[in-house]
Amino acid sequence: MHQPLIDLQHISKSFDGTMVLDDLSLTVKENSFVTLLGPSGCGKTTTLRIIGGFESPDTGSVIFDGQEITHLPPNKRQLNTVFQKYALFTHMTIADNIAFGLKIKNKPKSYIQDKIKYALKLVNLDGYENRSVDSLSGGQQQRIAIARAIVNEPRLLLLDEPLGALDLKLRQDMQYELIRLKNELGITFIYVTHDQEEALTMSDTIVVMNQGYIQQMGSPESIYNEPENAFVADFIGDSNIVPGIMLRDELVEIFGAKFACVDKGFGTNRPVDVVIRPEDIDLVAPGQGALSGIVTHLIFKGVHYEMEVTTPDGFEWLVHSTDLFPVGRQVDIHVDPFDIQIMNKPASEDEEAMGVNE
Amino acid sequence: MSKTYRSLKQFFSNFYLVFILIFLYAPIITMMVLSFNTSKSRTQWGGFTLAWYQQMLSDPNIISALYYTLLIAFVSALAACIIGTAAAIAIDSMKPVTKTIVLGVTNIPMLNADIVTGISLMLAFLAFGISLGFKTILISHITFNIPYVILSVMPKLKQTNKSTYEAALDLGAHPLYAFFKVVFPDIMPGVLSGFLLAFTMSLDDFIITHFTRGAGINTLSTLIYSQVRRGIQPSMYALSSVIFLTVLVLLLITNYRPRQKKSIHDTDALSGGAFHKNSLPERIQKSAMAAAAVMILFSVAFITFKKYTTASSNELYVYNWGEYIDEEVVAMFEEETGIDVTYDMFETNEEMYPVIEAGAVRYDVVCPSDYMIQKMIENDLLVEINFENVPNIHQINPTYLEMSKSFDPQNKYSVPYCWGTVGILYNTKRIQELGVEPPDSWHDLWNPALAGEILMQDSVRDAFMVALKDLGYSMNTADISQLQEAKQLLIDQKPLVQAYVIDQVRDKMIGGEAAVGVVYSGEMLYIQEEVQNLGLDYELEYVIPKEGTNLWLDSWVIPANAANKENAEKWIDFLCRPEIALRNFEYITYPTPNDGAFQLLEPELQNNKSIFPDLDHLEDSEVFQYLGDEDDAVYNALWKEVKSW
Amino acid sequence: MSKKLLSGPYVLWMIGFTIIPLALILYYGLTDRSGAFTLANIMAIATAEHAKALWLSLGLSLASTICCLLLAYPLAMVLRAKGVGAGSFIVFIFILPMWMNFLLRTLAWQTLLEKSGVINGFLALLHLPPQNMINTPAAIILGMVYNFLPFMVLPIYNVLSKIDDNTINAATDLGASSLQTFWHILLPLSVPGIISGINMVFVPALTTFVISNLLGGSKILLIGNVIEQEFTKGSNWHLGSGLSLVLMIFILISMALIAKYDKNGEGNAF
Repeated sequence: MHQPLIDLQHISKSFDGTMVLDDLSLTVKENSFVTLLGPSGCGKTTTLRIIGGFESPDTGSVIFDGQEITHLPPNKRQLNTVFQKYALFTHMTIADNIAFGLKIKNKPKSYIQDKIKYALKLVNLDGYENRSVDSLSGGQQQRIAIARAIVNEPRLLLLDEPLGALDLKLRQDMQYELIRLKNELGITFIYVTHDQEEALTMSDTIVVMNQGYIQQMGSPESIYNEPENAFVADFIGDSNIVPGIMLRDELVEIFGAKFACVDKGFGTNRPVDVVIRPEDIDLVAPGQGALSGIVTHLIFKGVHYEMEVTTPDGFEWLVHSTDLFPVGRQVDIHVDPFDIQIMNKPASEDEEAMGVNE
Repeated sequence: MSKTYRSLKQFFSNFYLVFILIFLYAPIITMMVLSFNTSKSRTQWGGFTLAWYQQMLSDPNIISALYYTLLIAFVSALAACIIGTAAAIAIDSMKPVTKTIVLGVTNIPMLNADIVTGISLMLAFLAFGISLGFKTILISHITFNIPYVILSVMPKLKQTNKSTYEAALDLGAHPLYAFFKVVFPDIMPGVLSGFLLAFTMSLDDFIITHFTRGAGINTLSTLIYSQVRRGIQPSMYALSSVIFLTVLVLLLITNYRPRQKKSIHDTDALSGGAFHKNSLPERIQKSAMAAAAVMILFSVAFITFKKYTTASSNELYVYNWGEYIDEEVVAMFEEETGIDVTYDMFETNEEMYPVIEAGAVRYDVVCPSDYMIQKMIENDLLVEINFENVPNIHQINPTYLEMSKSFDPQNKYSVPYCWGTVGILYNTKRIQELGVEPPDSWHDLWNPALAGEILMQDSVRDAFMVALKDLGYSMNTADISQLQEAKQLLIDQKPLVQAYVIDQVRDKMIGGEAAVGVVYSGEMLYIQEEVQNLGLDYELEYVIPKEGTNLWLDSWVIPANAANKENAEKWIDFLCRPEIALRNFEYITYPTPNDGAFQLLEPELQNNKSIFPDLDHLEDSEVFQYLGDEDDAVYNALWKEVKSW
Repeated sequence: MSKKLLSGPYVLWMIGFTIIPLALILYYGLTDRSGAFTLANIMAIATAEHAKALWLSLGLSLASTICCLLLAYPLAMVLRAKGVGAGSFIVFIFILPMWMNFLLRTLAWQTLLEKSGVINGFLALLHLPPQNMINTPAAIILGMVYNFLPFMVLPIYNVLSKIDDNTINAATDLGASSLQTFWHILLPLSVPGIISGINMVFVPALTTFVISNLLGGSKILLIGNVIEQEFTKGSNWHLGSGLSLVLMIFILISMALIAKYDKNGEGNAF
């Protein structure tokens, strides 16, 4: 197997006494597309900036392809960054922007010319060499920023919320574009975003972060289907997180109703958190399900209906279904055992942040 | 980036910052220290005192200058804000071509040399027939303030979202209401910083005010400049220190914010460096508001002060040299006669002349020097004095009336006020150190051993007097070859000269800056007292060179366009009273031609030959005469050659 | 439509107190005492003493502009690096000295620089020989730098602080060293501020008469002194106006420079 391209070991970083990253370790394999996902302030950008060399960690080390680069300045690193608001050089033409890194490395003129042509073609902006930065749209500027980075043939490309400033349609187009580019170039991507949909669409691996800790790391499917804690469950897609009691293996009690599940090893009569995705809830006729309630809210969402079902204890269940149940209708809730995800309750807030669940 | 490299960089940048701050604030600290100095001298420490702070509060000149400075700064900044903001909004919506033209003209007052702006405005006021005074200063300040406001507001306008204004209209707001509720809050920080800048610029301006001010009105700048002539009153330092500290404290208060614990949510933005840009306008806004509030308070306080002090139709406009009267005397005169005196000062005869000639300000009584009186008589600028109203004229020693005949042949226009000689002041100890004999001749000012130790007078006629006397010519010569010779002599002397100064000679000599200096005899008493007070280890002696010197007289005259001639005569008569003349002599220390006052002096003073030289020994000395415009121009041109050599 | 009317008061003001006054200078500069047209007042710049004064003024103001730039640029960089919240405070720190009167500040330098002044006092304490500083061209340059430095710092700081940190990071990321980043990114991006700063220092330095009087001991005659004396002492307003017109040429050059390099007014000091 490959050795990891990036290996972050026990990184801690604080700003003005506030801990932003606490003992963070992470490895990224060559040729993967890794997304750091989390709400703003979770430390994802700081992690990226430490890899890029714009911040130094207080403790811990950064290993790049087996070499320690923790204190190496950015200009000496074999990686490039695409910045949030593009950070194009407004006083230069498009060609000069793209050529910047190559000129610094004293590459021959003809080589640079070829590279500019190649890169512009790659981002579908042929013939834009002599345009000024100001004359481009946001999406075009974004492509130039990417072109500027990739002409340097970095082994690793860091992307800091690169699509954040674009509108929805453009964002979706660019997502495919990025996947295509990554496949064509064979470069490792580390991508920072707070948009879970973006993360699910593009990545091989998603790293969910919160308050300076890694909450869960895995493939998009595993993150979505098997969230390890309430934070991940809540952050990735919509979900119902309810308190429950694990009566014994494969049986959980929720609001007094018993549900069969597939999880084991939580002991008996243990309080737990239960995650149920809205599309995994089946609404059935009264008497046919485990828990009964009333439909209190209904919205048509195109692909499905979004409904809220209020159970007698006052909890509002979010339900996605292609079947319509009008507001006021009495229904029962049924969930298949393998759609119930059981998680340990965090003992304290700190523990919650650390994502402890074993 | 290694940590040591970073902290080294940090260290150097802090070090550099401190260096610049020292550079910026060293003179200010110096000045604050001087405000506690007992001695008036800027170079000698005479002990700690708070007297200047007391004097500052009781000096009507300073208080009125402060009042006008703040009032003009406030009103001009406010007016500039209103006109400028309106203009900025209009400019913002103009077509590019018009916009370029208007902005181009807007730049003119900012880019133009202050001296050109000042002079051009002065010419315009005179052409429009607006007499120079408070309103001309105000107009000038508004003129140079508007661009600062426009340039502060324009960027804010560019940032505002145009649709918010339209949204307000859409919601049914009247355009005016929409402007004040929606657009104005957005551009408010720009308007405020424009106001603050305008206020500061107005406060700091000297040159433009210098050219556009009129009678009876001084700002702090012009008051200080008039004092440079005879040495700055340390109370000015005291006042400036107070102003400075007030502003500093305000600034610290408005900028002090308890260090908030930043929530973790800010850190991403923080490390991206976007954080401070958001909080900046809000801060400026706060600071500006606080500063503006205090300034308004200041202004209101002083306006009430002003109302309280002025109200009279019985007036007298006096135009005199700076620091050339005991202020008490003015107060006594006002009290006794009920006449309201507007007292104004000039620095040089040449500066005074165009003011009287243009009639921009109608002064009632003026105190020019001999040759200038002659010029004024020749140009019909003076009116004969009715000596029936000046019974005390008999107190003036007839010798001086005789002397006056050289410029006022029938003694019809002038009454002598002060007189004196010009001579060489030398530092006994320094002379000895340099191995030079005490000077007794003008020629000693060409002694190479005194290189860098000579202070010359910075005025055409005085400088040429020295050279012409040294050459044995008349100091009133118009002979071009004699003048050329004198010019060459002055050029030869220039490398030896430390500086050309006017009355700063006094302070510089007391401070031991130079070995010899050309001074007016009137300074002697003060100089010798001060040397004694400071306990200096050298003495300063005065000598009238053997080739003869300039005998000068400053006399009171009444301009032809005076509106209150009788009051002017009352004034002159009042000053001729022996006890009043004595008071003035004691204050200004220039020799008095008043016999009654002379008789009241201590015999020791009467016999002080530095101050009251025997006139019979001065047969080679002369009084300056007016030479006519053409010859004046010749002198000026030659002097310029000397100065630019 | 009504927005255009808002410029009315300003346009009138501008015509009355900017354009007409300048027209008067033009009139005086192109006439003699009898009111007849002449170019003599302008050609007078060519006479030895005026040309020398102008030349000297150009030299000194150029020197002080360069000094200001060399001092201000690193300073603006340091201030930019201080970042967070420091902005407005620092701007005030530089405007603050202006609240101490301009003349007093300059006079204070006299006290510092004099033979028996504060600096020489310090040197004596350190057993160093006294320096002759006052009444030299260097003293005038110092006075100019001191008085006009804020006008260089503020516009440069302003443009620098508007440059996104990531723009600089991007350059480093692409392999540029600190020096290369400065040369290829920071410097070109700060040109509007530099140009505006140069104008705001060079023009007032070129025309000052107070600083040369107070710190140069009146031994050094600058073009500002000549003009001032023509108006206040020589009473030859025509010659003074003519020479002012010559100075206007330099102001026109500044305006042209600004129009070329700072189209969007980014380099405004404030």
